[in-house]
Amino acid sequence: MSSATEVMRPEEVPQPKQYGKPGGFLRHTNIITGTVSGIVLAAIAYLVAGALRPPPSDENALALPVGLDPQFAAMYIGWTIGLLLGIGAFDGPLRWFLGHDLTHEDAEYMAGAGQGKWRYFKYTTDHKVVGKQYLVMSLVLLGVGGTLAMMIRTELGITWMEVFNPNVYNSIIGTHGMVMVIAMIIVVSGPIGNFIVPIMIGARDMAFPRLNALSFWLLFAAVPPLVSSLFLGGIRDGWSVYQPLNSQAPVGMLGYQTTIIVFAFSTGIASVNLITTIVTMRARGMTWSRVPIFVYGIIGSSVMGLIWFPMFQYSQILSWSDRVLQSNFFNPAQGGSVWLYENLFWLLGHPEVYVIVIPGTAALMELTTVFVRKPLFSYKLAIAGIFGVVGISGIVWAHHMYMTGFAPSANYPFMLSTELISIPFGFLVLVLLGTIWRGKVWTRLPMMAVYAVVWNKVVGGITGVWLSDVPVDQYMHGSMFVVAHFHFMLMGAALFSAIAAIAYWFPKMTGRYLNERIGSIGFWVAFAGFQLCFGSMFFAGLQGMPRRVLQFDNAFNLSNWLSTIGAYTIGIGTVIFLYAIITSWRGGQTAPMNPWAAQTLEWTVPNPVPLENFKVLPVVTTDPYNYGVPDPYASQVADVGDETSQKVSVS
Amino acid sequence: MSTAAADPVLSPTTGEPVAVVARRNRLGIWLCIVSDAAGTVSLLIAYAYLWSLNVNGGWAPKKGAWAPDWLFWAIVLGMVVACALLWWGVKSVFAGHREGLVVAATLSSLLLLAMFILQIWQLATFPFDISESSYTSATFWLALSNAFHLSLGSLLVLAVVNRTRAGKIGVDNPFQSRLVAMWITWLCAAALLGAIFTTAMKDSPNTDPPAFQSFTQPHTS
Ligand SMILES: [Cu+2]
Repeated sequence: MSSATEVMRPEEVPQPKQYGKPGGFLRHTNIITGTVSGIVLAAIAYLVAGALRPPPSDENALALPVGLDPQFAAMYIGWTIGLLLGIGAFDGPLRWFLGHDLTHEDAEYMAGAGQGKWRYFKYTTDHKVVGKQYLVMSLVLLGVGGTLAMMIRTELGITWMEVFNPNVYNSIIGTHGMVMVIAMIIVVSGPIGNFIVPIMIGARDMAFPRLNALSFWLLFAAVPPLVSSLFLGGIRDGWSVYQPLNSQAPVGMLGYQTTIIVFAFSTGIASVNLITTIVTMRARGMTWSRVPIFVYGIIGSSVMGLIWFPMFQYSQILSWSDRVLQSNFFNPAQGGSVWLYENLFWLLGHPEVYVIVIPGTAALMELTTVFVRKPLFSYKLAIAGIFGVVGISGIVWAHHMYMTGFAPSANYPFMLSTELISIPFGFLVLVLLGTIWRGKVWTRLPMMAVYAVVWNKVVGGITGVWLSDVPVDQYMHGSMFVVAHFHFMLMGAALFSAIAAIAYWFPKMTGRYLNERIGSIGFWVAFAGFQLCFGSMFFAGLQGMPRRVLQFDNAFNLSNWLSTIGAYTIGIGTVIFLYAIITSWRGGQTAPMNPWAAQTLEWTVPNPVPLENFKVLPVVTTDPYNYGVPDPYASQVADVGDETSQKVSVS
Repeated sequence: MSTAAADPVLSPTTGEPVAVVARRNRLGIWLCIVSDAAGTVSLLIAYAYLWSLNVNGGWAPKKGAWAPDWLFWAIVLGMVVACALLWWGVKSVFAGHREGLVVAATLSSLLLLAMFILQIWQLATFPFDISESSYTSATFWLALSNAFHLSLGSLLVLAVVNRTRAGKIGVDNPFQSRLVAMWITWLCAAALLGAIFTTAMKDSPNTDPPAFQSFTQPHTS
């Protein structure tokens, strides 16, 4: 490397003209201006669309009646653009277009310098701020989704009467599903991916800081439309809202579509940013064989999001078009096909499971090496597992469509590909087990989660292999067995991994220890409740209980009672865990720089992490899993807890 | 490249050489292209799938009027010329001639703008209604997505003109012009795919589709 790659302090670089005070327009924007502008523009768009609406005609009697759809569609577009305008998202592109480039002072202002807590409510570009914004957002979404889940279990547990009207009940189910899918997609990649990954690879920020802010605020824009749909007729047809139900649903469906369309942009932008950051901004010496495995997990997840999310997005764009513009993509009377929807939907719908599970699993591998103090068992197998899953994830989607008549002759190839993907996925479990094997385990809360997740993943994985089997699926599809299976994967494997990841990186993100005594109680209570809730749900499914119903035969009562007791137990455990997070964040014990004596770069920067992370960019000379090798780090392990004596172990 | 080695221009916000930032941005553009391509492929899948099924005999436009092919190809041709012009400008700025980029990008942006207007005109004058059949819906959306592409593309090239004239893109910092040219190249490929599909796939191969009675769908808003 020549000196050309040497980084100068930006202050010493010739600066472009400063327009106004540093930050310019963004000095005046925040969450309040954004929300107000979103609401105002939504209202204006709604009224204008109403005024412009052509009178209904009888010419096309076969097309779907349009009703209020154009007005509500305009309203949701108005909200999204208004929010982005009001938060200041268009400031950057406009300045670039005009040639008013940012100065170093502008960039520092936008990264939140000197704005205290307000920076969390602004279009802030610092990856650490974005990470915390994502963390709070995912906790809020998990809270909303969890509350809806408790409502579902309440209805199913009280077998002697109807608690909710059936339409309300169905809306609760659909909204729970979509809220949780979004929450789970962001819960690791959002907070940990943004906050930790740049530091982990030795970078000062993400590759595209403004796009980072954009991805969060797009997510922020995506949530209200989903919530609003509850009041506009609801999402009554499950989280996947198959056609033609999608077109026949009340106008609230436009809220669901808007959410997916906007969220897909958010995820796409975040994926571009994460991949570019990791590929181009790693510290000197961090070759691909020295990249921490968690970073590989984030790459795998981002690649899948990048390729498959647009298809999911188009399933909703075209559905939106069918409702608002009266096109015929999914209207069979006019040449449309509902299978088209199912294909586009599941082309992401299945890989999405891996988008969710892979980052969490990779986080577990990362922290297992730390708590077992052994090198990762077969780093290469882990990478092969991640990219094997990524590679095969694109050719399994139709296992959701065996019974739809879409392509009966393709059922068996899809069965094979689905069973095939369990091989690389199995690698990931084997790597975890191999790392623990004969290790001296330091059992802290994140490590307990590893045991919990391995169990859940085995149960979820094996039942998944059964369901991918065409003859089995003929009997089991659409049953509570399916519901139990994917909750073992998405909640049992992914959410419990996310808890481990948050607990592990909590000291770096907040500068404080998580209260592990209370946290562990919450964790194990939730785990026990989880086994009861979804374990007995398998039995309801085996007995033949269909999903998405609120009335059922008395034969299913017992398993439903048990499930509901389990669900309430999860609820109690979660509240305890949340209590631990909130109280620890506000006033927990101060954590040293490297509380786990780990060897990755994020533990070499002080708490709180300075604005640009590293004073001097680190140089990496070893792989991150040197534990157990008679090593130069011994002194560091002995120094745990003493903030003054931390050393940079990797440079 | 030789320009960067002597006295590298540094980014005012990060202090890195702009060539380093440009390499990073280039990957970003590639990834954006991959993502946008996945969206375009979704539309093409929709087109080809509905064409192959011809559900209820509903593929062909009701009045039998297919969209004229020449317009798709005219737009593609215009885009390709605009793209070639821009690349010529990029080459000249990398070779040390800033003026070449100003002229080429100005022409390119004007041509793209003209193609955008032509695309809107095509959308407005299709010999069918979007709700007539599945062919009309899919074709309409291919054209609409190209209109989105062209509006964004012409703005980006216009920005190159602006920034070059303001000295933000120049002989010692030419990289952003190449990034925009990469993106425009992809837009040409997307438009080309659309033109090929609409030209080659008209009458459905499924000449005897199962027909079912027309049904109206209940609406409950
Ligand atoms: Cu699946």
